Amino acid sequence: MSEIVSLFSMKRIQLWGFTSWFQFLIRYRKTLLGPAWLLVGPIMFIAFLGLLFAQVGGVSRAEFVPHLTIGLIVWTLISGFVIGSTNVFQQAKGQILQGGIDLTDIVMVSVFSTIIHFLHQIVLIVAVFIIFSISVTPYALFSLVGVILLIINGIWLTIFFGIIGARYRDLAEIVQAVMRIAFLATPIIWMPGETGRGGVMGVFLVYNPFHHFLELIRAPLLGDPIAPLSWMVVLTITAIGFILAYFCFSRFAKNLALWV
Amino acid sequence: MNATISTTQPLVHAKNICLHVPIFKPRDRQLLSSPGKFLRDLYFFRTQREIVTILDNISFTLHPGERLGLIGSNGAGKSTLLRVIAGIYRPSSGNLMVNGTAKGLFSITMGMSPEATGLENIYMRGLQMGLKLNEIKKLVPEIVAFSELDDAIESPLNTYSTGMSMRLAFSVSTMVEPDILLLDEWIGTGDARFRDKVKARMDKLVEDSRGLILASHNTALMKNLCTRGLVLSKGKMIFCGEIDEALDIYANDKLIQTKA
Repeated sequence: MSEIVSLFSMKRIQLWGFTSWFQFLIRYRKTLLGPAWLLVGPIMFIAFLGLLFAQVGGVSRAEFVPHLTIGLIVWTLISGFVIGSTNVFQQAKGQILQGGIDLTDIVMVSVFSTIIHFLHQIVLIVAVFIIFSISVTPYALFSLVGVILLIINGIWLTIFFGIIGARYRDLAEIVQAVMRIAFLATPIIWMPGETGRGGVMGVFLVYNPFHHFLELIRAPLLGDPIAPLSWMVVLTITAIGFILAYFCFSRFAKNLALWV
Repeated sequence: MNATISTTQPLVHAKNICLHVPIFKPRDRQLLSSPGKFLRDLYFFRTQREIVTILDNISFTLHPGERLGLIGSNGAGKSTLLRVIAGIYRPSSGNLMVNGTAKGLFSITMGMSPEATGLENIYMRGLQMGLKLNEIKKLVPEIVAFSELDDAIESPLNTYSTGMSMRLAFSVSTMVEPDILLLDEWIGTGDARFRDKVKARMDKLVEDSRGLILASHNTALMKNLCTRGLVLSKGKMIFCGEIDEALDIYANDKLIQTKA
């Protein structure tokens, strides 16, 4: 128990927060727009698809654009965790071989960086809600639970994929290939209820874990109910994930300095 | 923290430690034989993963006040042994007990971010070394003064000359005094005047530490500084005892090797 308490001591949260925020700012230092670049890409994507796909899919723009925006921003968070995790320890090679830094610190700095990106992009969701004057009920606060669950899953994922990715460099390639398909298989640029694309893909949605994570966050914001199955899937994945990460860490963490 | 450390217990106690390291080796290829084979071998390189023993059955004890010199030719495992004691690599087998903080000055410029300013790098490294933000804030004036960087401390590291970044790295790395000091080669850096400061700082570090482990090829320095010597050859421990005897054994051993 004291181990877990010391894991979240003030000093370490300071380390994670400052390091990740700092790396984030450094990254954009030489650009003109700075962190605003985090918004430009999604805005172009949403504007283009919002104009085009709303007509193709036969749903109204006021319905499709919020769906697309939340989906895209949450997907960026998910794929940030998944793709970022595969080479998290290789990236920190210098620090690992310097000594003094804990492996859990490296994991948490990576998780914090992804969260910082996400926090910036939330602005877009707010903007879209204002533009389409969507009314928000207190029920929308439930999506915070979804966000927290997703972040918690980001922690075990970074530990687990980080370790396997350090041992087998192939993981990064596999994950990128899979995530590209997963993006299309998840209802982000299409809606499950649609005829056509949505109708074809919708059947397989229950097998898509990303869909369930996304639903926990998106459904409350749009005032839709969350399917009990989504809760079950997400909580099961969280539990299994942490068990996997725990065994992987206790078994292989000692080899990591040799693998990076 | 120091109060809990008993004065009679050994600082470092290593018993039969081994370290096996995986390396990736290309299988037999003839890159130079012909251009066709060259390309073929580059594409189908078929790397082989091999486990190599870098440290083989090392045992020694470092008592408070002792200074141990690691003696051996290049690739004997001196630096690796230091990293094992620092906790970066964990021994594959055997027991290692370290009583107190063991920190080393290994390739001190590693892990600094070139895009960040000198000042920002001080903060980053400080956090990494386990200091709190306000503790670092108190140390900053001293570090800046010691490194003699003046206004350059506000410019990015990639504008620094080699000497300047070495000065900064040294000032930062030595801001925390460890119980057990691990040195991979004695550090002497900068122009003549700065070298005097470095020497004074190094002497103080050695003076204040409760124990020292130094890996070096400098025989005169070893004789001067160390009380005991450990001779390594290809990862195996040949001798551990008085420094003069250890240096003799190494010198004779080298003589035998060159004659053979």
